[in-house]
Amino acid sequence: MFTTRKTYQPYRSPFDPCPPLTPKTYVTAPNLYIGFQPPRLPQYAPYEALRKGTTWKIFYDPYCGPYEQMKRNERT
Amino acid sequence: MKQMPKEYYDLLHQLQAIDFVLIDLTLYLDTHPHDYEAIQQFNELAQERKKLKKQYETQFGPLQQYGNSYSHYPWDWSKTPWPWQV
Repeated sequence: MFTTRKTYQPYRSPFDPCPPLTPKTYVTAPNLYIGFQPPRLPQYAPYEALRKGTTWKIFYDPYCGPYEQMKRNERT
Repeated sequence: MKQMPKEYYDLLHQLQAIDFVLIDLTLYLDTHPHDYEAIQQFNELAQERKKLKKQYETQFGPLQQYGNSYSHYPWDWSKTPWPWQV
């Protein structure tokens, strides 16, 4: 399933005191995947747009951490 | 100084929400000049914003200066609350 959360494997050095939490993840912005914005995209109502910080639903990205993501996966 | 009524904050909140969408639409329309629905939505929101502004100004005084808003009598644009005191 497409997600803006990408993962990578950090190099594990023999001198590492403790193993890194793998896989490490990072979030990429949704607008990277859209290019030229098509017309008639679904929008939020003005109040919700103000709260979420974007008028179009597709660009909403609360930039959650990987563990925070599980808690508040209300990402619409 | 007396507390502003609840409607003051409601009107400001509405204005803020509509302004946000208007700004977003302006940026969108800069790159999409031929998008008819967006222009229609923009004009509807601009009209609604004008109504809200008129409603606000009749009760609470001018929103902007230099002729962008009507004034009450006496000249009271400098009365509180200022934006950071709202």
